[in-house]
Amino acid sequence: MWLRIKRTLKDLPKWQLVVLFIFVVILFLTIFGPYLAPFPTEIADPSARLLPPSGKHWLGTDENGMDIFSRILAAPRTDVVIAVIATAISVFLGSPLGVLVALYESRRGAASTAFAEIFMRLLEVMQSFPVFVLAMVLVAIFGGSVTNIIIAIAFVNTPVFVRLVRSEVLSLVQRPFSEAARAVGNSELRLGFRHILPNATPTVVVQVSVTVGFAILLTAGLSFVGAGVGPPTPELGAMIASGAKYLIIEQWWPALFPGLALGTVVFSFGIFGEILNKVMEPRAVGGNIDRRREITLEKGQDTAAQETAEPVVAPAALFTRSSEPILRVEGISVGARELGDIKLLRDISFSLESGESMAIVGESGSGKSVLVKSVLQLLPYPLTVTEGRIRYGDKDLLGMEKRRIRTLRSTEIAAILPNAKSQLNPLVRVGDMMTSAVRAHQAATRKEALSRALELFETVGIIDPEKRLEAFPHELSGGMAQRVCIALALMHHPKLIIADEPTSGLDVTIQRQVLDLTRRLADDTGTALLVITGDLGIAAHYCDKVAVMQAGRIVEVNETSALFSAPQHPYTKHLLACVRV
Amino acid sequence: MRFAAYLGLRFLFLIPQVVLISFITFVLVRMLPGNPARMSLGPLAPESAVEALREEWLLDRPIFVQYGAWLEKAFSGDLGESWVNNTQVIDDLIHRIPVTIEIITLALILVFLVLAPLAIVTASRTRNRIVRFFQNITFGYGMLAGALPDFLLGLVLIFVFFTHAGILPGPEGRLGILEFEPSFVTGSIIIDSLIAGNFETFWSGIWHLIMPVFTLAFVYGAPIFKMLRSQMEGALKADFTTYAEAIGLAPRIVFLRAARVASGPTIVITGVVVMFLLGGAVLVETVFNLAGLGQYAVQAIVTADYAPIQGFVCFAAIFTMLVYLAVDLVHFAMDPRIKAVGTSR
Repeated sequence: MWLRIKRTLKDLPKWQLVVLFIFVVILFLTIFGPYLAPFPTEIADPSARLLPPSGKHWLGTDENGMDIFSRILAAPRTDVVIAVIATAISVFLGSPLGVLVALYESRRGAASTAFAEIFMRLLEVMQSFPVFVLAMVLVAIFGGSVTNIIIAIAFVNTPVFVRLVRSEVLSLVQRPFSEAARAVGNSELRLGFRHILPNATPTVVVQVSVTVGFAILLTAGLSFVGAGVGPPTPELGAMIASGAKYLIIEQWWPALFPGLALGTVVFSFGIFGEILNKVMEPRAVGGNIDRRREITLEKGQDTAAQETAEPVVAPAALFTRSSEPILRVEGISVGARELGDIKLLRDISFSLESGESMAIVGESGSGKSVLVKSVLQLLPYPLTVTEGRIRYGDKDLLGMEKRRIRTLRSTEIAAILPNAKSQLNPLVRVGDMMTSAVRAHQAATRKEALSRALELFETVGIIDPEKRLEAFPHELSGGMAQRVCIALALMHHPKLIIADEPTSGLDVTIQRQVLDLTRRLADDTGTALLVITGDLGIAAHYCDKVAVMQAGRIVEVNETSALFSAPQHPYTKHLLACVRV
Repeated sequence: MRFAAYLGLRFLFLIPQVVLISFITFVLVRMLPGNPARMSLGPLAPESAVEALREEWLLDRPIFVQYGAWLEKAFSGDLGESWVNNTQVIDDLIHRIPVTIEIITLALILVFLVLAPLAIVTASRTRNRIVRFFQNITFGYGMLAGALPDFLLGLVLIFVFFTHAGILPGPEGRLGILEFEPSFVTGSIIIDSLIAGNFETFWSGIWHLIMPVFTLAFVYGAPIFKMLRSQMEGALKADFTTYAEAIGLAPRIVFLRAARVASGPTIVITGVVVMFLLGGAVLVETVFNLAGLGQYAVQAIVTADYAPIQGFVCFAAIFTMLVYLAVDLVHFAMDPRIKAVGTSR
C-alpha cells in the first residue's frame, strides 16, 4: 500500500501535487483555522463596514465590518466538518444496507427477491426528489442548526451508497472467492461483511471524496438561499450570499473571496478523489501497451535459449510457385516512439500467392494479431510499422493514402477478426451491416444490397436468412455471427482473406463447419488465405504452409507437411512436442 | 410490440410511485413547525376562529384522512392556498413552471449544441492541431466545471458582464423593469412575445436569459460532456469500430455508428442531470431574480408556507419521474439489448 502511494505520487503531474498540498492546507485549516484568524470572526464592527482590501484587512471587510480573511480561515471548520460528518453518516448507514439488499437479492426465493425489488423501488422514489430541494425542505422542517443540516445532507446522500455498495456486492458475490468463503461454511452475513465488503472498499472510498465535495457545495448552496447555516457563523455560502448584493455596486470583495475559497475547497476535494482513485486502482494508470511490453519481455526471457537460434526459413516455402506473389511482407518491424527500442514485431518477412493458404501459429503474445493489424493498416495508436515494406500485388500498402486503402478493403483484402460477436456493432441490425458493406464498395439500391446479402447468407449456410437480417448481433449465436463475418468477407470476391483466430470461442463441431466453409469458398474463387491461429491442428489441416512466430519474430516457415514432419527450429520442436503429448 | 409492453410496464409502476411521492411529501410538509391555521389567520385572530379553521382543514384528524382529503382536492386541481400571498397554489405553479422549464430546456439545448460536438471531436483519435486545441480547452473546462458552484458563477458573470462591461442586463428578472410581459399563452416570454408579434420583448427576453442559461449549461453540462467523451473514446477503440474500418465502410458511417453506441449511456446520465438542473434552477433563479419555481420554493420554505412547498415538491418529484421515464424509453428504443422485465437503471 505505502509503496503504491509512493509510486502514484511520483507519477503525478506537478499541478496535481500543488492541489494535493492545498488539500492538506484545507484539512489543517479545518482543525486550526479559527485559532489562526487575526481578527474576531463573529463580532460585528460597525465602524469598519465594507472596507476594501488593505494592509490591515487583507481581503477587506464585509457588511458587518468583520474581517473577511479571518472568516475564510475559520469557515472550513463549518463547511468541511458538516460535509465530512454527513458523508460519514451516509457511508455507515448506506453500506450495510447495500450489503443486506444485495445478499437478499442474490438469494433464491420469491420472498427475498420481492423484498429487494420493493426496497429498490422505494429508493428510486426517494431519489426522484431533487437532492437540493429535499435538503431544503428537511432543513426547513427541523430548523437550520448545524446538526440538522448534517442530518439532511446525510439523508439525501445515503441512497447513493446503498446503490453503489449493492451493485459492487452483487458482482463480487459471483466471484470464486465468495463461493469459496461460502463453501467453507461462512454464514451469509459473515460472507457479506467480512469477505465481500472489504473488497468493495476502494470504490466506496473514491465515492466518499466525490460526495464530500458535493456535500460542501450543498451546504454552501443551502446557506446561500438562507436555508442553512445562518450568520454570524463563518460559512462560505452565507458569506457569498451576504456579499452578493454589493457585487452590483462594485464592492466585489465580500462575495468574490469566499467564492474563490469555496471553489478551491471543492476543486481540491475533487482532485484528491482522482488521486485516491489512482492509488486504489493501479490499473487505471498503465495503458495497454505497458502490459503488452511486459508480456513480450517475460516470454522473451522464458525462451531465451530458443531465441538465440537463428530463424529457419526454407527458401522453397517462401517462393514456391513461379508467379508473382499477391502479398509480400518484407522485413517489417512494429514499435512506437513511446516504447523506445522495444519492438512488438521484428524483421518479419513472408509472401503469399493467389490461391495459396498459409497459417501463422504461435503462442498468445507472440505478435500474431499485431502482424494482422499491420497488414490491414489498422494498428492502434501509437503503434506504427517502423521498418520494412508490405506489398500487395505491385502496390506499396505502407505508403498508400488512407482513401485508397479503404477502396482495397473487402474488395481486394478482406478481414475476419477474432470473436465475431464483438466485431459486430451491438446497435446495428445484421441486415444494415450487410447492406452498408455492399454499398461501401459498389453502387446499389438498398433493395439490391438486401438481395445480395440474402444470397450471401444462403452461401454461408445461415438458416432462415430473412429473419437473420432483422436480428441484432446479441440475438445470434457465436457460430452464426462467425458466418455473418464470413459472408462479409466474401462479399466483394477479395483476392486475399486474412482470418485472425476465425474460430476462437466456438465449439469444436462449429469450428470445423466454419473452417471447412471458409476453405471451400476460398478454393472456389481462388482466394488466398492467411489464417492466424494458436491451434496447430487447424494449421496442419487447412493450410499449404505454416509460419511459426515467437516473441515478435518468425522463427520458421515451411510447407505444412515438411514443417510437421521435420521441424528445424528448437521453438517449433518445442511447440510440436506440446501437442503430441 | 416489445416497446408497447415496456411502456405499459413502466406506466404501471409510475402510478404507485406518484402516489407514494405525494404521500411522502404530504407527511414531510405536515412536519413543518408552526400551526398552519394560526399562520393563515394571523397572530391577532381569536383562538376560537383558529380552532374552527383547524377543524375545517381536518388538522386534528389522522394523517391518512388529511391526505385523502388533500388527494381528492388535488385531483380537482385545487392544491390549496398560500397564506403568505393569499394566492391559489395551482395558479402560482402555472405561472412559474414555464420559467423554470424554459431555462432548463435552453440550458440542455446549449449543452447539446456546444458541449456534445466538443466531446465527440475531442474523443476522436485523429491528433491534429485543431483537435489538440479543443482538447486543451475542454481539459480546463472539465477541471473547472465540477468545482464551480452555480450561484458563484452567476454572481461572477453579473459582476463582469453587467457591473463592469455593462453588456448584459443585471439580475432584474425576466424583462427590464419598465417592460411589460406579453399576454400569457405558454408562460415562456420568448414564445409568448413571438406569438404576440412583439420582437422587442422577444429580444429583451433572450437577452435576460443569456447569463442564467449559460450558468446552468456550464455547471451542469460537465457530467454529460464527460460521459459522452469517455463513451465515444471507448466506442472508437472498440472491436466493432476496427472491424467496420477493416471491411472498408465509409469513415462517416463508422463514426456515426460509434456515436450511436456512445449516446445510450449519455442519454441516461442526461436524465440524472435534469434532476440536478431543477435544484440548480432554485439557486440560479435566486441569483438572477427570475420568478420561477425555484425562487417560489425558497420563499415558501423561508416563510414555512405549507401549500406552495407541497405543490412544488410534488411537481419536482413527478417531473423527475417523468424525465426518468422518458429517458428510459428513449434508451430502451435505442438499445435492443435492454430487456423489458426489470426496470432497474
